[in-house]
Amino acid sequence: MAKESFDKEIQFLRMLVLTSGAYNRQQFADRLGISVHTFDKTIRRLKDIAGTVQQQTADEQNKAMADMLRTSYYESADPLLLFLFRSKSLKESESYRLSLLIASLQEQSLTSMELLELCSEGMPGELALPDEKTIRSDLKYLEQAGVIRRLPGGRPQKYTAHNDFVTMLSDEELSDLYAFVDVMANTQVPSVQGYLLRDSLKKAMKRRQLPDGASDLFLYKYHYHSRILDEAHLYTIMQAIEARRKLSFHYFTPKSNQSYQSKNTNPMFTKESEGRLAEMLPLKIAYDHQYGRWYLLGYSAGRSGVAIFRMEGITQLEESGFVTEDEYMTKLASLERNTRYSWLVDMGRPVEVKVRFFNPDGAKRNFIKDRVLLQGQWGVITEEDDVSFLFEITVNGTQEIKPWLRSFGSSCEVLEPAALRREFIKEWKELAAYYEPVRKNIQLPDDGTA
Amino acid sequence: MNLFEKIFNYRMMAQLDEHGALAVTAQERRWLLMMLEHPDAVAAIEADTLHKLQQSLSGSDEQPHTGNFRTIIIEKAASTTSSLYHPMLRTLRQMIVKKSGMQLHYFRKDGHLLPRQAGVPYKLEYSMVKREWYLLWYNRRTRSLMSTRLRSISSVEEMPVSEEFFNQAADALARQRDKRMQHAMIEIIPAYNRELSRILYAFSCFDKQVHYDELSDTYTIKLTFLGDETEYVLSKLRFLGLRVRVADHPYMKYRLREAAHKSLARYGDASALEPSQHNNGVMSAEAE
Repeated sequence: MAKESFDKEIQFLRMLVLTSGAYNRQQFADRLGISVHTFDKTIRRLKDIAGTVQQQTADEQNKAMADMLRTSYYESADPLLLFLFRSKSLKESESYRLSLLIASLQEQSLTSMELLELCSEGMPGELALPDEKTIRSDLKYLEQAGVIRRLPGGRPQKYTAHNDFVTMLSDEELSDLYAFVDVMANTQVPSVQGYLLRDSLKKAMKRRQLPDGASDLFLYKYHYHSRILDEAHLYTIMQAIEARRKLSFHYFTPKSNQSYQSKNTNPMFTKESEGRLAEMLPLKIAYDHQYGRWYLLGYSAGRSGVAIFRMEGITQLEESGFVTEDEYMTKLASLERNTRYSWLVDMGRPVEVKVRFFNPDGAKRNFIKDRVLLQGQWGVITEEDDVSFLFEITVNGTQEIKPWLRSFGSSCEVLEPAALRREFIKEWKELAAYYEPVRKNIQLPDDGTA
Repeated sequence: MNLFEKIFNYRMMAQLDEHGALAVTAQERRWLLMMLEHPDAVAAIEADTLHKLQQSLSGSDEQPHTGNFRTIIIEKAASTTSSLYHPMLRTLRQMIVKKSGMQLHYFRKDGHLLPRQAGVPYKLEYSMVKREWYLLWYNRRTRSLMSTRLRSISSVEEMPVSEEFFNQAADALARQRDKRMQHAMIEIIPAYNRELSRILYAFSCFDKQVHYDELSDTYTIKLTFLGDETEYVLSKLRFLGLRVRVADHPYMKYRLREAAHKSLARYGDASALEPSQHNNGVMSAEAE
């Protein structure tokens, strides 16, 4: 069987989350490069998963998928998008068997023969009974995933569930751990494993009848929800980096209208894909807090040598050739040199930017300065008086820092470079025009005589 | 390591739940072990427990092959975090869980210490932008929803209240919050449709709905936000500059126009400064 790829689901969910109901089925399918039929099928499947995971009522399940995904951070810190990572396909008999095995190994240890017996008794009649070989391979899988472990000692081997670190905790300790995992999953990257663990701890608390897990005490404001979709590629990339291997993938630039293309198995019907085949040596992964986006940085044998890819455009990711340690180290050193002054990922020529920030008039707190100190990265305040302060920073190009400076509105005046200053003047003029009081356009009567 | 494991499958999860069983994978344990190394872990978990956890976790799995997140992932444009886990978080969390009331001593924005206030703690909220914890609570005297930085709280003591009162307060807060909800229609200027992805990403931290008009090829975003978030929404709009235009929110339109005129005045474009139609509280409002 071909390796299950989740590219379609990832692109699908990202588009749902970002465009929140903007497109009808046909428009949506067109932009994903899939058929309407596939669109409907995917929606049904995702709804099924979401329904099971969230234990929704039938009423909630009838809601449009886009509505379900509307970020409701006012009510809950549960990331609905996590269900993507729960979508690996699994036969009913297998899921039943595996869960039965894990359940039997909670707080006790058993041999594979004992487990076979338990399983044979516990399986519902309509499902096939397992044989010894199946049980052994299940145990091997569970051991590899780290869900169960083998006890030391001779044959016959005994197994037990690998969750001592939870069972050994007192109720209070478990509550503290849950709160910690909740905070870390929500504020740190990567987060998916944290969210998965949070789900499990929540259930462990429910079982002990601890009230903490029942409601969301913590809320997190201004989260970029779709960031967790991009984590799907994180581990493949990290593995390749550690193994000094190149990666190849089909890349859809975010500027193209299409973000996915189904692989057509019948070559007669394959359209030329809009994606571009790319091969590169991965070196770093960057997370941009300004937009909540991930980037893959590395080296490719193109003109510039520098390779920057947005994670959201990467599909059909695969490992390819190896490079030598020497080559890897040289390329890494060069990347580190080039990104030293990147506000985000720009590797252009370094520029000295000098701006004057104005302290707020009559405010109780200097929130302008607070924010500059909080978000100004490696920039420094060089001069200061009662009215304003000077901020200087060296950045690769001005493109990436510009939105941040502009977000301060009239509290920020760009001094240098002159070109950036001119750009700001021009943009503020155009922006002012957006909001001029509407003057009724004088329409000349169109009498068709022209 | 793979995030798409059979063990994470949704049916599997439901069945484990039925059996009352717990399944934790090696990758989740490694993640936890890495997080426990965070300097703030000591503020979240008692020293004994922390030690116990670290020992149990580090001994139980083979060393990760791909665990070196810290050196591979670089974070850009993040706000500096003074401390992630505020010492009061634990006390307040326990109070909310126990449905207890409280007596609160806290500093106002100008540094003035207010007399003790009685209230009910409701939720703890973390702003990813300000990197700061806030306590959302019900003020008994004013009967209103308050949001106070944990950093500004000088002391808090438990004060028992009936469960009925606690629940009433929580309901009142939820209602007040709903009332404070605002909407704004933000139009994406079609010339910037090529940057649609970037623009939608920038708004993806808000509750939003998007409308697309195929004929005019125009996207309009309907944002839903709390009144006190207006300043943050405004800074986002200035952040995006010419790409977006507020279509229907008079106050925000006014503020953006003012920002443009005042900025032009800074750059010496005197004609830009309009005769003063002065405005109260505009500069004192907090720009995020």
